[in-house]
Amino acid sequence: MANSVEAHHGEHEHHYPGFFTRWFCSTNHKDIGTLYLWVAMIAAIIGGVMSWYIRAELAEPGLQLISNDPEGRQFYNVLVTGHGFIMVFFVVMPAMIGGFGNWFVPLMIGAPDMAFPRMNNISFWLLAAGFILLLIAAFIDGGPGTGWTVYPPLSSADFHPGRAVDFGILSLHVAGASSILGAINFIVTIFNMRAPGMTIHRMPLFVWAMLITAFLLLLALPVLAGGLTMLLTDRNFGTSFFDPGQGGDPVLWQHLFWFFGHPEVYIIILPAFGIISQIVSTFSKKPVFGYLGMAYAMAAIGVVGFVVWAHHMYTVGFDVNTRAYFTAATMVIAVPTGVKIFSWLATMWGGSIRMEVPMMYAVAFIFLFVVGGVTGITLANSSADLVFHDTYYVVAHFHYVMGIAAILGMFAGWYYWIGKMSGRQYPETLSRLQFWLFFIGVNVLFFPQHFSGFAGMPRRIPDYPDAYAPYNYISSIGALITAVGTLLFFVVLWRTYAAGTRVGANPWGEGATTLEWSVDSPAPWHTHEDLPDMAGKAPAE
Amino acid sequence: MASLQTRNRRIAISLVTLVVGMLGLAYASVPLYELFCRVTGYGGTPKIKIAGAPVKKSNGTIEVRFDANTNKALQWHFKPVQVKQTVKLGEPSLAFYRVKNTSANLLTGTAIFNVTPFKAASYFSKIDCFCFVEQTLKPGQEIDMPVEFFVDPEIFSDPKTQEISAITLSYTFYPVERDEDNVDRTLSRKSGSNDEIDS
Repeated sequence: MANSVEAHHGEHEHHYPGFFTRWFCSTNHKDIGTLYLWVAMIAAIIGGVMSWYIRAELAEPGLQLISNDPEGRQFYNVLVTGHGFIMVFFVVMPAMIGGFGNWFVPLMIGAPDMAFPRMNNISFWLLAAGFILLLIAAFIDGGPGTGWTVYPPLSSADFHPGRAVDFGILSLHVAGASSILGAINFIVTIFNMRAPGMTIHRMPLFVWAMLITAFLLLLALPVLAGGLTMLLTDRNFGTSFFDPGQGGDPVLWQHLFWFFGHPEVYIIILPAFGIISQIVSTFSKKPVFGYLGMAYAMAAIGVVGFVVWAHHMYTVGFDVNTRAYFTAATMVIAVPTGVKIFSWLATMWGGSIRMEVPMMYAVAFIFLFVVGGVTGITLANSSADLVFHDTYYVVAHFHYVMGIAAILGMFAGWYYWIGKMSGRQYPETLSRLQFWLFFIGVNVLFFPQHFSGFAGMPRRIPDYPDAYAPYNYISSIGALITAVGTLLFFVVLWRTYAAGTRVGANPWGEGATTLEWSVDSPAPWHTHEDLPDMAGKAPAE
Repeated sequence: MASLQTRNRRIAISLVTLVVGMLGLAYASVPLYELFCRVTGYGGTPKIKIAGAPVKKSNGTIEVRFDANTNKALQWHFKPVQVKQTVKLGEPSLAFYRVKNTSANLLTGTAIFNVTPFKAASYFSKIDCFCFVEQTLKPGQEIDMPVEFFVDPEIFSDPKTQEISAITLSYTFYPVERDEDNVDRTLSRKSGSNDEIDS
């Protein structure tokens, strides 16, 4: 390894491959990270347009945009399904794990690249293929209108006889394979390729977050893959895993899906935890408070996340003891997440805080996550959940705690690292405006949904009684503000690349202590060829 | 120490094993889940006892109600003969369901069953039941089908179940053949619900 690196040095000091080789056959962790980020941004536009269409339809009672027939209502279901799938599998996961993970895990641990660069390339292109399959699914046989949970019997051949659900299943299989390969790559990289002296307990918290996320992926995704395969054979090859007429049980699908689905929400939010920890520490000019507690809180969230899945399915008729267990286990998660919230606050406490845009996003993340966490405690109560189940209260809860929180984490990461990735800083005023528009927008959008949900407004229905009209109207105005904020982000992106001021290795100064700030901006083609010596450094420095 | 490449491969292989193991676990969950339901009476799965199994007798009684449903894809008329029975605890009782093939075809169906409240299931035992085998009816044929069961007197000793005064035994008939002339998919797709409540 060392020899080949030396040889590399001499031969191609400034050699860049051609466009096709660089972007289509890429094995460079930074280029692959960039590709992931672009796919996530494209998918975010598609998934976002779907949600704005939904909000436009829901702005007033009655059916305005969709036609009042089974095809129209199926179309609405397809929008809801597509929005969920795209945002979870093709926006947040690619951006957080594939994008920032690929870019910064090797940089932060002092590794020259990922452990398996070619496998990294396969991961990316499998994801792209999965995305295309999902888009195909939406355009054939009326599209998959199953919701992202794909519950049978709705997803069975009886109710979705066309090929749409099969394409959707294939899409998730391919995207799942991509994530599993990516996760293996991260774990091997983090275990084996840390710079000398970068012990496990000195890794930056973002790397910790990625390590735990990768393990969650490895444990959860195969279960989804198994369940999806059963569904596929039920639909096409005459098996009856989920068909009660043949001795199967649709509730088994719910168990399998949520055994994957609950860890999946931590897969989405843990990388955001990591990003927020780096940012809060940088802009408070303090090492993060309770570093080990922060790392093991994430590990605890990961472990407990595997034994709470049935809180998504309280309504299937569990006995009281089962419900008591899942209620208690779910509430236990509030302890490690509380450790994280209070450690972030303690990091800021007494720190020399600079409210740069990434820090604004980090603080906004903490606020949204706490709001979503509080409603999560409410929903954890099985008896209360029997009433809240499938209402907009749940929609508001999970958009706060994992949807918008994750998006804020991504924005925070983008503003924090764009100088490193592009060599140019974002335009200050425009970015602040973008933050405020987006932050106000999402709160106006989702906060009223607590009230309409509390009043009983059901999810996934395109029409509603007039009583819910005011909250929905406000919510749709919030969606409009959010749309403007999103659009402005792409203006910020353009202005950054077109006219951003060039930055040096460390634009954030004293507080930014992690290794990615020790290399030039933009990060050169090859980094850490001479492994940095981290011996004797404090944790996460 | 082994080279970095060897060490990388070693970890990668163990991680792949982990993935394959989890995939296997997903499939293993199918029989495990069934076993779990059977053993614990989960989801209202009643116990199945072969005839002649020794049972404690008791003087207490409990009401058993009977419910019948038919999947839309099966053109049968399916009803309990008696709506309810008051049965002695620990004593085998016999009840009948009447089913009629209202179609012009020879049809085979199979019934799935459970009891409500779910927590009563572990005290509800079937000795013999028409649902243990598939039923085939000629066009227009009508038959009475028996179910023999008993309720364990222990139901009144368990603090979780002692307040139960009535147990509902429910059946849903599904078609066995899955070919298109027996299973009308378009019909069940247009209808909102899969089951037609017949009682």
